[in-house]
Amino acid sequence: MIPTLGRALLFLGLGATAAGISAGVIAGWRRSPEAARWTRHLTLVSAGAFTAATLLMIYALLVHDFSVAYVADVGSTTTPAMISVVSLWSSLDGSMLFWAFVAAAYAGVFAWRTRFDDPARVGWAIAVQLVVLLFFALLVAGEATPFALVDPVPAEGPGPNPLLQNHILMAVHPPTLYLGYVGMAVPFGMAVAALATGKLDASWTSTMRAWSLFVWAFLTLGIVLGGWWSYEVLGWGGYWAWDPVENASLLPWLTFTAFLHSLIVAQRRGHLALTALVLVIASFLLTMLGTFMTRSGVFNSVHSFTQSPIGPVFLVFLATCLVGSVLLLAAKMDTLKIEIGPKPRHSGLISREAGFLLANLVLIAFTATVLLGTVYPLINQAITGEQVSVGGPYYEKMTLPLMAGLLGLMGLGPALPWGGASVPVLLKQLLPPALIGLIVGVIAFVMGLDRPWVLLFLATSAFAVVVSLRELWAPVGAALRSDKHPALEAPLALLRSPRRTGAHIAHLGVAVLAISIGFSTAFKQEVELSIALGESAEWNGYTIGYLGGERIDDPHRTSTRARLAVFEGRHDLGELKPALNKYPRMSQAIGTPAVISRLREDLYISAVRVAAERVSIRAFLQPLVSGVWLGGLLLVIGSLIAPLPGLRRRRKEAA
Amino acid sequence: MNWKVLVIGAVLVVPLVWILASGFGHNPRAIPTTTIGSPAADFSLVSLDGEKVRLSELRGEPVVLNFWSTWCGPCVHEHPLLQAAATQRKDVVFLGVLYGDDADTARAYLARAGSAYPTLVDDSQRIVVDYGVAGVPETFFIDAEGVIAHKVSGGISQAQLMAGLELLK
Repeated sequence: MIPTLGRALLFLGLGATAAGISAGVIAGWRRSPEAARWTRHLTLVSAGAFTAATLLMIYALLVHDFSVAYVADVGSTTTPAMISVVSLWSSLDGSMLFWAFVAAAYAGVFAWRTRFDDPARVGWAIAVQLVVLLFFALLVAGEATPFALVDPVPAEGPGPNPLLQNHILMAVHPPTLYLGYVGMAVPFGMAVAALATGKLDASWTSTMRAWSLFVWAFLTLGIVLGGWWSYEVLGWGGYWAWDPVENASLLPWLTFTAFLHSLIVAQRRGHLALTALVLVIASFLLTMLGTFMTRSGVFNSVHSFTQSPIGPVFLVFLATCLVGSVLLLAAKMDTLKIEIGPKPRHSGLISREAGFLLANLVLIAFTATVLLGTVYPLINQAITGEQVSVGGPYYEKMTLPLMAGLLGLMGLGPALPWGGASVPVLLKQLLPPALIGLIVGVIAFVMGLDRPWVLLFLATSAFAVVVSLRELWAPVGAALRSDKHPALEAPLALLRSPRRTGAHIAHLGVAVLAISIGFSTAFKQEVELSIALGESAEWNGYTIGYLGGERIDDPHRTSTRARLAVFEGRHDLGELKPALNKYPRMSQAIGTPAVISRLREDLYISAVRVAAERVSIRAFLQPLVSGVWLGGLLLVIGSLIAPLPGLRRRRKEAA
Repeated sequence: MNWKVLVIGAVLVVPLVWILASGFGHNPRAIPTTTIGSPAADFSLVSLDGEKVRLSELRGEPVVLNFWSTWCGPCVHEHPLLQAAATQRKDVVFLGVLYGDDADTARAYLARAGSAYPTLVDDSQRIVVDYGVAGVPETFFIDAEGVIAHKVSGGISQAQLMAGLELLK
C-alpha cells in the first residue's frame, strides 16, 4: 500500500515539476502573467506532492513497514522512534527524497512570496529552481526509488548507520545543512532570471538579499553543527578535519559570503553588481560539486556513501549546470541593465569599497586554495595514476595567512568611509584596537606560541573583536548620551539599523570563532591514561578515578560505559561516562566521548578500552572550545537580524 | 556573446569535469598492493631520538613498519594498539615512520601519548616512494627473511594486527 501511494505521489510531483518548468519558461519568454500563475500553481502542487511523499516515508519508517525498500534497508524494529525519523537522511535514497522535499518546499514558498512580482523574472527564477528539483525528483522516482516494493516482506531490517544513531545532533545537522545547501538554488534562480530578462533592479536585489541571508544563515548553522557533531561523536577531540565533504560545505559558504559583501557595495555605490551575480552562480555550482563529492563515491571521506550508480548521471547534470551558466553569462552579461541604486561613483584607493573588494579577493583565493586541496588527489590520480592524500598541514599552512588577512580587513573595514578616507583620522580610529590585538599576540607568545602566522592570526582576531564591539556599542552609547529616551531603551538603537547591527554581530562571531579555533588548536593537550579499578590518575591539575565499568543493553546496541570520577584540585566535577557502543551492523565499536565543557576549557575524554579491572582512556584538554560554538551562533544571529526592516522605518509605516 | 568569458569558462569547466569523470572506476579506499610477497626495500634512517636504524641489519627478526602522522585521526586511534602489541611482543621489531609531519610535533605527541618503539624520520620521503605508501596510516608486516608478508591500509584494528603478526610466525 505505502509503496504504491509513495510512487504515485512522486510521479505527481515529477509531472507537476516538469509542467511547471514549461509554464515558467513561457512566462519568462512571453512575459505572460497567465503563464506565471500556472507556474505558481504547478510549483505548489509539486511542493505538496513531495512533502506528502516525505511524510509518508517517515510514517513508513515509524511503523517499520518493511515492504518499502528504504525501510527494509535502514529500518529495524529495535530502532527508537526518534532515530527512525532521522534515518530518513541516513542513507543515499532517503537523503535524495529529503533533498527533493526541501527543494520543492523552497520553490513553493518562493512562488507564493513573489506572486505580485514581474511575471517574466519570476517565471525564469522558478523554472531554474524546478529544473534542479526535476533532476533530484527523477533520481528519487527512478530506478533507485526508496518506495520500491520489497517482496517477500522481511520481518526485520538492519537498522541505520551506527554513526547516525549516536547523537541527537544527527537530527538537526543534516536538515539545517540541507536548508542552506538546497536553498542556494533560490538566489541562483534569481540571478539567472536577472540575466535572462536583461535587467537587475533594486527590488529584485533586495528580495535576493533577504533570501540569501536566510540561506546563508542555515548553511552557517549546518557547518557549525556538523563540527559540533564531529566533536561530540567521533572521539578524536576535534571539530574540523578538512574532510572533502566538510570542504564541500565550506566552498560555497566562502563564495556566498563574498557575494553578500559584493551586494552591499552594489547597493551603496553601484559597483560590483555583476561580480555579485557571478559569485552567486559560482556558489550554486559549488553546492552541486559538493553534492557530487558526497554522492558519487569518487572521494574518500567519512561522509561519502559507497560507490553509487548515480555518480555518472550526476556528473552529466553538474556539467550541464556548469556549461549552461558559462554560456548564459557570456551571452547576457554585456547587455545586462543594472539599476540597483546609485550610478557608479568614484572611489578612492583607501575606501570602504576597496576594503570590500580586497576581502572578496581573499575569500576567492581561500576558495581556490580549499578547492585545489580537495580535488588534488583526483588530479594526481588522473595524471600519474597514484593516490595521495592532502591533510591538515596543507590547509593550515595555506589558509592561516588568508584568514589573518580577512580578520585584519574585518577590523579595518568599518573604520573606512565610503568613497575615500583621510589617513590621520583612520590611524586615530585604528590605533586602540590594533594595540589590543598586539597585546593578545604578545600574551600568546608569552604562553609559548612561536609560529608567526598563528600569532598574527590571533592578533588580527582580537583586533577584529574590538572593532566589532566598538561598532555595536556606538549607537547604544550615542542613545545613552542623548537625553531624549530613557536609558533602558538605549539598546533599541541597535534595531534602528538591523543591517549594520547584523553585520557587526556576524563579524564578532567570525572573530570569536577565529580566536577560539586558534587557541583550542594551538594549546590542545592530549594524553593516554590507563587507570586500574579504584585508582586514579592525575593530569594537568585534574584527578580522574576509575569507579568501574557498566554494560547497558539497548535493543539497538550494546554500550560499555566507564564511570570516571573527575576532580579539579579538590573541586568535584562529577562523574563522566565515556562509552563504547557496539552496533549489530558494525564490527568496530563506536565511542561516545564525555565532555566537561566550560568557557575557559573543555576536558574531553573518550574511552579506548573498558574492562572490569582497568580502563584506558584518551583525554584532551582544549581551551576556549565553547567559543567555537558561540562564534557560530553569533554568525547565525547576525545573518538573521540583518534582513529585518529597521525600527524607525517600521514605525513610519505603521503611522 | 562575450568570448573572453566563454574561453575562461571553458578553461575552468573542461578540466574540472574531465578530472571528476576520471575518478569513476577507482575505489578511493582500495589501494593496489603490488608490494606483497616482494623483498622489502632497505633503508637506513635516524629515529626521533637520534637512533640509527637499518632494515637489512634486522634480518632474522620480523618487523612491523607503521607509517603515521599526528594529523591523521586513524593513526592516533591505532596508536595505543600498536604500543600495547610492541610492549607484549618482544620477538617482533616495531618501527614507526613519520609521514608528512614535523619532527617536533611528533616528538611532543609521543611524549604525551607514549612511545614503545622508535619512529623514523625521512625528510626526503624516499621510503614513502619505495613502499608505495598512498596515505596514512599504512602498516607493513615484514617477515624474518625481509619479505613483505602483509599490508594493512587505513587504521588497523586489534584483529587485523593479530592476524598480521600471526603471518610473521
